[in-house]
Amino acid sequence: MNSDFEKRLQEQPMREVPGEWRARILAASPAASSTSVWWRQWLWPCPQAWAGLGAAWLLILGMNLAAGDGPAHPATATVAFSRQELADLRQQQAMLAEIIFPVETAEPPKLNPSPRSEMRRTEVVV
Amino acid sequence: MSSLPNIERLYDDHASALFPFLLNVLRNEADTYDVMQEVFAKLARRSGLLDGVRDERGFLLRLAHNAAIDLMRRQGTRARNYEQLAAEPAALFAGSGDPDEQVFREKLAEALGELPPDQRAIVHLKLWEKLTFQAIAEALEIPPNTAASRYRYARDKLRERLRPIYDEIK
Repeated sequence: MNSDFEKRLQEQPMREVPGEWRARILAASPAASSTSVWWRQWLWPCPQAWAGLGAAWLLILGMNLAAGDGPAHPATATVAFSRQELADLRQQQAMLAEIIFPVETAEPPKLNPSPRSEMRRTEVVV
Repeated sequence: MSSLPNIERLYDDHASALFPFLLNVLRNEADTYDVMQEVFAKLARRSGLLDGVRDERGFLLRLAHNAAIDLMRRQGTRARNYEQLAAEPAALFAGSGDPDEQVFREKLAEALGELPPDQRAIVHLKLWEKLTFQAIAEALEIPPNTAASRYRYARDKLRERLRPIYDEIK
């Protein structure tokens, strides 16, 4: 219940907002120009759906970046692969060389039977 | 399809309430203009700000109050307000042709200026916006009991301050 004093105060009319403020304040508001909000009008029918779609794309992109070393950086992966395999490749090449040219590597110790026999002979002779 | 908030419509509906409220709280016309511009610019930038808002007027008063508090903090005018108000009645009320009424309005403006800004805001919303304490509490983000007690305290101070002239012209 308002007292007489409060009613007396309420009866005092406040000043009205200066008329010229309207144009100045509205002119300073960004939405006053329709060109600045075309994208908002485009999104306005369902902004939550657009936000959800954007979030889904971000999630997919994040998962892709986190999981995909190879597809995300194919050149880097190739370099890493070739470096890693380079030693194996050299080892395989060495093994192949041993298999293909076994004689060359095994010959020196096995190609001296005759001198040995000769030596034995000399020993026997002696 | 819902439409974008119409800033012009918002201004026409609520500027007449925001202006005296801000002028009463800030006691400075230039600051009042700045805060009103800030509020409407914010509404224009963030088109979804009023989505789901039931009490548009209350929401705008809250925006305006928060912006006014921010401005006072930035400028450090909260302390200044206490001292400056008597010298700066800020033409809060409309002029009156009746000399007694005119004097009463000037004294009332001075007395309001002597209240702390938070009490002044509550008195304004209660007396001139005719809000309930619940609505005032929501607008100023304080408990309803706090709003009620601050209002009673401020009203008693005003009554005491204005008693001589009030008794004279009653």
